[in-house]
This record gives sequence, C-alpha cells and structure tokens, in this order.
Amino acid sequence: MTPGLLLLSAACSVAVSIVVGPKFPRTWLALILVGAVAACSAALTVLVGTADLNWHSTFPVGGELLHLRLDALSAFFLMLVGVIGGTGAIYSTEYWSDGHYPKSAPRGRAWWSGLVLSLGMVLLASNGLHFLIAWEVFTVCAYFLVTLENRRSEVRAAGWLYLAASHIGMVFLFAFFGLLASKTGSWELGPMREQTGLAPLFWLMLLGFGVKAGIFPLHVWLPSAHANAPSHVSAIMSGVAIKMGVYGIIRFSGWLPMPAAAGPVVIGLGATGALLGIAFAIAQNDIKRLLAYCSVENIGVIFIGLGGALIAASHGDALWGRLVLAGALLHVWNHGLFKALLFFGAGSILHATGTREMTRMGGLWRTMPWTAGLFALGAVAISGLPPLNGFVSEWLVYLGLFDAVNARGASAWAALPAVLALAVTGALALASFVKVSSIVFLGAPRTKAAAQAHDCGSAMRGSMLALAGVCVAIGLAPVLFWPLVARVIGVWNPAWATTGDLPAPLATLGPVQAVLAALALAAAVGLWRYSRRNGSKRALTWDCGYALPTARMQYSGGSFGDIAAGWFFWILQPERKLRRPRGVFPVESSYVERIPETVLERVIGPARDAVMRVSTAVRQLQQGRLQSYILYLVVGLAALAVLVVLGGMR
Amino acid sequence: MIVVQIILRLAVWLVVAPLLPGIINKVKAWVAGRRGPPVLQLYYDLARLWRKGVVLSTLASPGFIAGPAVAWIALLAATQLLPLGPVGAALSFRGDVLLLIYLLALARFCTAWAAMETGCAFEGMGSAREVSYAVLSEAALITAVLTLSVHTGSITLVTMLAPAAGAGAVLLGAGLFTVLLAENCRVPFDDPNTHLELTMIHEAMILDHSGPPLAAILHGASMKLLLFALLLTEAVLPVGELSTFAAVGALAGGVLAVTVGVGLVESLLARFAFRRVPMLLTTGFLLCLFALLVAWKGGAA
Repeated sequence: MTPGLLLLSAACSVAVSIVVGPKFPRTWLALILVGAVAACSAALTVLVGTADLNWHSTFPVGGELLHLRLDALSAFFLMLVGVIGGTGAIYSTEYWSDGHYPKSAPRGRAWWSGLVLSLGMVLLASNGLHFLIAWEVFTVCAYFLVTLENRRSEVRAAGWLYLAASHIGMVFLFAFFGLLASKTGSWELGPMREQTGLAPLFWLMLLGFGVKAGIFPLHVWLPSAHANAPSHVSAIMSGVAIKMGVYGIIRFSGWLPMPAAAGPVVIGLGATGALLGIAFAIAQNDIKRLLAYCSVENIGVIFIGLGGALIAASHGDALWGRLVLAGALLHVWNHGLFKALLFFGAGSILHATGTREMTRMGGLWRTMPWTAGLFALGAVAISGLPPLNGFVSEWLVYLGLFDAVNARGASAWAALPAVLALAVTGALALASFVKVSSIVFLGAPRTKAAAQAHDCGSAMRGSMLALAGVCVAIGLAPVLFWPLVARVIGVWNPAWATTGDLPAPLATLGPVQAVLAALALAAAVGLWRYSRRNGSKRALTWDCGYALPTARMQYSGGSFGDIAAGWFFWILQPERKLRRPRGVFPVESSYVERIPETVLERVIGPARDAVMRVSTAVRQLQQGRLQSYILYLVVGLAALAVLVVLGGMR
Repeated sequence: MIVVQIILRLAVWLVVAPLLPGIINKVKAWVAGRRGPPVLQLYYDLARLWRKGVVLSTLASPGFIAGPAVAWIALLAATQLLPLGPVGAALSFRGDVLLLIYLLALARFCTAWAAMETGCAFEGMGSAREVSYAVLSEAALITAVLTLSVHTGSITLVTMLAPAAGAGAVLLGAGLFTVLLAENCRVPFDDPNTHLELTMIHEAMILDHSGPPLAAILHGASMKLLLFALLLTEAVLPVGELSTFAAVGALAGGVLAVTVGVGLVESLLARFAFRRVPMLLTTGFLLCLFALLVAWKGGAA
C-alpha cells in the first residue's frame, strides 16, 4: 500500500475509535493498534524510500485548501506517535481500566484517540492555519487527559497550569504563523530559506514551541502536569507531546532562514536546561516528578544537539553538524522510548503501592520483578550508559561537539561548554537514576503497602517489554537506524543530504555494544551460578554488627541526593522545617523538606501577585455608586476637553 | 594470530593489575618503617575469595551478584580500549575515548546498584558519595580528554595518547593524578585501609559483599587503577614516538612511578574531611581546564 492509503486508513481507524472508544474498550484498542501500525508503516515507507507524500486537496478547511505533507522529518516523529500511542493504549486497558475508573476510563479512551489523531495532524499539516488548529486540538486533548482524575484538586491545578502555559505559548505561535502568512502572502508552509527577511520570526517560534517542549525556564507547567496525570498520559506527554515542540523548532529552523544568534542561544538554553533539569530531578522525592524533571534535562540534551546543528549550518560545517543533528534526532526517539518505559514502570509502582513518594517504597523487586527489571533497563538507558540506546545518541552529540572543538573555529567556544555541561549532566543523571531505582526497588520495604505490592498484569508488562525491546535494538544495532536519521538530516538541510554513508565509528560501535551486552549477561549469569555452586547462605544485612536492622534505618532518597543537590542550593532553594528533639524527655521531632518549583514560585508567582495587586487597586474605582460614576464621566469629559484645547492650540 | 594477541593482551591486564595495590602497600609500609604485606598479597586474597562461598543479605536480589559481574566486564572492556604503547589497543575507533569514559560510568552504576541492594545505611552513604563525587571527577576527566583532543586534533585514543601533552603536561598530569586518586578511592579522598567507618566511599559500598563477587570487585578496582595509571603515563609521556623497547620501558616506569606516588601520598597525607573533597576535585578540574587552555594556545601559535 502507498503511504497515502496507509495514512488514510490510520486516520479513519483512529477517528472511528473516538466514537466507539467509550463503549467498547476492546474494539477501541484494536482500532488504535491498527491505526498505530498503519501510521508507522506509512512513516517507515517514507523514511526508507526517497519520495515524500504531498497531497493537495481541492476542498477548503477554514478557508484554506487542505495540504498534507509527510516528509522524512514528520515521518520520523510520526513513528514515535505510533509507537507510544499504541503501547500506551495497550497499557491503559489495564492501568486505567473500566473496572477501576468507571467514569473516567471511557472518557480517557476517546481523548487518547483524539490526542493521537491531532498529533498526527500536527505532523501532516502543511498549512499554517491547519497547523494551528491541529496544535490547539492537541493541546486541549492533552488537557483533558491530564485532568482525567479531576476529583483531586492538585490534578485540576496541574491541568490548569498546563492549559495556561500552553496558551501563552500559543499566543507566540499565532504571532509567528500570522506574521509568516502576512510576509509571504500565503498560509502555505514549505521551504523558504531564501527569504532572509523572515529570520527574526525565529524568536517567536522558539518561545512558542519552547513552552511546549518544556525547555528550562519555560518548563513551569511540565513537572506538575507529568506528575499528576495518569501514568500512560505522562508517558505520551513526556515521550511525544513535548517532542512536538522540538518538532516545531526543527521543522521551521529547516524551512526558514535563521538569525545568526539562533545556534548559540539554542545551545546555551540546552546546556543550562540539561544541567538545571537534572539538578531539580535529583532533589525530588516524588518518582513521577523526578522523571518529569529528567525530561527537562533530556530536552536540554536535544537542544544542545540542535543548537550545534544550527551553528554548523550557519558556518557550513557539514561534517560535525550532521553528527550533532543525528544525535539530537536519535535522542528524540530514545528519550521518547525510555521515558515512556520509565513512566509505565512508575505507573505500575503507583498502581501497586498507591503512592508516588519514594520514601514509602523499597524492596519492590521481590514482589514486582518484571517492573523492577524493566525499570532498571530504562534507568541504564536514560543514564546514557552503554550498551543501550541512550549512549548511542549522546555519543553522536559528543562526537560532533569534539569535532567542533577541534575545528577551532568560532563554534568551538559554544561546543566547549556544551561538552562539559553534557558530561556533568550525564554523571548527575546516573546519580539520579541510581537513587530512584535503588530507593524504590532495593533494600527492605519501608511501608506495609510496599511489602504487599503486586506486579503488573500482562497488558502493562507487554507494553513495557515492547518499549524495552526497541531500546535494546537501537542500542545494539544503531546501524539499522542510521539511514532513517540520515534522511531526516537531508530534509532539514538539503546541503547535508548524502546517500547512505555511515559514519565509520557507528558501524564499529554497534557490534561492540552487542558483544558488551552478551558478555555482561554471560558474566552475570556465570558469576551467579558459580557463587551458588561454591555455596551461598542468606543472612541479615551486616549493618555494622547491629542485630535488628529495620527498614527505617535505610538510607533515604533525600539523603542519597543530598550531596549533589547541595551544589545546586542556590536555585533549588529547599524549604526545610526541622523540629529538634528538646528537653530531657523529647516528645517528638520531625524534619520536612520541600523542593519548591523555583521558577514558578519565586519568579512567576511574585509577578502574578504584583499584577493582582495592581488590578485589585484599580478595582477600588468600581464600587457601584452612581454618583462616583457620574464623577468619572465628568472628569473624563474634562480631560478630553483639556486635550482638545491643547491640541487646538498647537 | 588475532586470537593469540587478544588472549595475550587480556592476560597482561588481568595478571598485572593486582600487582599495583601490592606495590602501594609496600611503599606505605616502607615509609612507615614496617615490613608490610607481600607484594602479591592481593593475588592470594583473590584466589582465596574465588574459592569461597557467598553470604547474601536476606534483602539482596540477583542484582547483588550481577552488579559486580557487569561492572567487572565494563572495566575489562574499558581496558581493552586503552592502547598499550607500541602494540596499540585491542579495538580502536573514532570516539572510543567516550566509550571508555561511559564504560567507567557503567561500572559505577553497577557497583552503586549492588551496594544499595542490602538496605544498609553505610552502603547507602558509600554509593551516594561515589555517584556524587563522580560528577566532579567526570567533569575533570572529560576536560583532560578535551585537552588531549585539542592537542592532537583527534578523538581516537591511540592518536591522542601518542605524543606528549605538550606545554600543559604538568598541569594535565596533576589534574589526572587527582582524578586517579578520587576515582580509585585513595587518600585523600577515601581510605582503602578501613571500612568500619561512616566516612568511607568505596569500602563502605562493598561491606556486604563476599566470596567470588568480592573478588570480582577487588580485581575490577585494581584494573581501574592500572587503567588510570596507564592513561596518565601515556598522556604525559610521548610513548608513541619512542622505539618499542623504550616505549615499554617508559610505560612500565610511568606506571611504577604513579603507583609509588599514590603510596607516598597515602603515607604523607591524611584523608580530607568530606566537605573539602569537592574543593579538591574542583582543583583537579581547574588544573585540567588550565591544561586545556594551554593546549588551545599551543595549537593556535
């Protein structure tokens, strides 16, 4: 089948699933899966082939003729929508089932279909007006998914914040597309690199899409929305929805001329975002909030690659530019995959223990072995460690940045700090993920709920296994994925288009990673067997000879992250309440620590308060007395008269 | 032929590595005026541990044994990327230096994971310190790598390590030596002699390990020490420009000098308080950064 037909069938089945979803969960799942498979095959056809899909229709929507385009770049993101949309749907049948949530589950299915459909439309739309419509529908669908559990006030607050932030971003996008249309005389989108007057529009676009992508400091909506949404929604928000912001920036930075400062600004945003995102992550004690901040970090990593590519493009350095862009693009996929996997894992934990607080977990590997194993795999992948996929994309970014440094041009001064930021970020990410996986899964259960946890069922496990499988595949055989990435690079910058030349080191890295994985597996199994054969016995944890260690004596997540979080004291600004034990017979003591959302509470909050104060002061004018309104009228008329008289004198 | 070469190379790494801690201990004993344990003590320990059974915590998952195994494989793989002077590396490709750094990180992840298995507060402290201080030492290490890369215009270890580090060699050597001390948990960052303290890093992490997994950890740690000693030697000395015999001599001499240096530092310094550890590591980072600036200027001139 041609990509066009595949897309049509995908769109039809997902559209039908909106209608049938609330009533028939099984049909809904089948339709979504058909849609996801069809969309992925269409995307793959475009990515592997050479021709793009370009469909001009003659019927107008909203006054503009419908124009759909699926080129390699949108196909690349469509794959992600298909994979996460499909696996998330499987996951939700068990995680957010009708049995548990009779009211919100049917609604959730319809909104999920709507979200997947509108995400596809964003990627296909090749007309500014339709892009905006699809973008708005996607934002609203995501809002209703985030607030599925709308009885809880913090969910409503998170949804509200998300909606408000998204619409502030939307204002910039309106301005961007409106100005673009007025300058080019048409809403049609497409390559227009030669119209150099369009370059300043980049800043509007960066702000508009940056809010959606959640780049620091525009990430204010992201942590609470990701933490409070149902986990399958967090997965698609973090894995796909925020990537749409990245898509927008890549899309239009490829099509429009770029201002000279674009590259350095994007790489700077990326480096600070990655560093501060992970600093906030390591200080969190809520597992989903930690994952959410880690998304901020990974978006930073993607921005580093993208900024590098922009710099390289402006200097015409194809060699290293292609490497960093390839790293950024592959990281879009990788982060989508392992972050969805981790959110699925977090959902499974939440399902089993009923809490997101890591201090109430512990020892879950015994009761939830599948979740523990798959979460651990995701943790290794997201820390960028070999032999999994996270390392491949970070390594490509590193290679490109090192080449930029060695080229010793002006770009070296942007690449040098970026390399350092990337290294520190990587080490901090490792610390964060050792923290989260060990506090949650290892040691002794800290509460009764944690001790009586249960592992997830086959639907949740299956969707996690599928994502883990793709993570392993990209890690062990990156060579297979290079042609797809190379084709996207060719679309972004036609000057960098090449036919199938694989960077030599990538061809070596794949087998090395595969051998490493095999050896690691063999060594682990071998050492396990050998030790057992030598004789093994179980005993209490030694704990310095203490005979009765309890679960409360374990190291907590807060203490684990304390050293690294201490270095970022200046921005984290933790709020601490300490009640020391007092007197001869101390009754109680407590220590509570809260990490505020610094940008939201210390910057945006005070600004909002100031606006509110001014508005309240102005409201004093309106107190419902007719006499004062007449007085205002008289004063107003008098002022006008004075103006007229003064004007007449000139 | 290739198989023979790989076996030989593995044998060199596996067999020579445990010698280093023995030399360090001998130096310490010599400075203190004691006889000290035999140089081959670690070999005896490893052989004994390998024959023993294991005692597992009731809380430990299979990851408790898988962690040390994977960490050992990661360290072994990292050693195979490091060129051995004239005979080069087992595998060399563009960007292999980054794989090396991330293999060390993988080993760190696995050791810290295994330490957290037992739910013991001491091991929690140890791994928290390990992963946190690694942030600074990784920054210093990557700066050192950048220095070498800028100096040689390459990101392949064989090419990067062939010439001397140029004018910034002293700075780079000092920086790398600091990283070596931190990454291998030596004084003044950590004290490998004791593990009954609240104040240790590496030794606190392996409190509950025993038998073959402990052997894997100890052997892995000695390989890591040899790796850093070789890296330091090859970064500073122009090993690639010497004749085969001279290069082998330079390598052996360099590693010996570094090892003796570690022993001397350990004899003459006390362990630092933990709040001073980040400062010392930052100093190491700054040394590497200055080396980078020197390399940058050197290349531009």
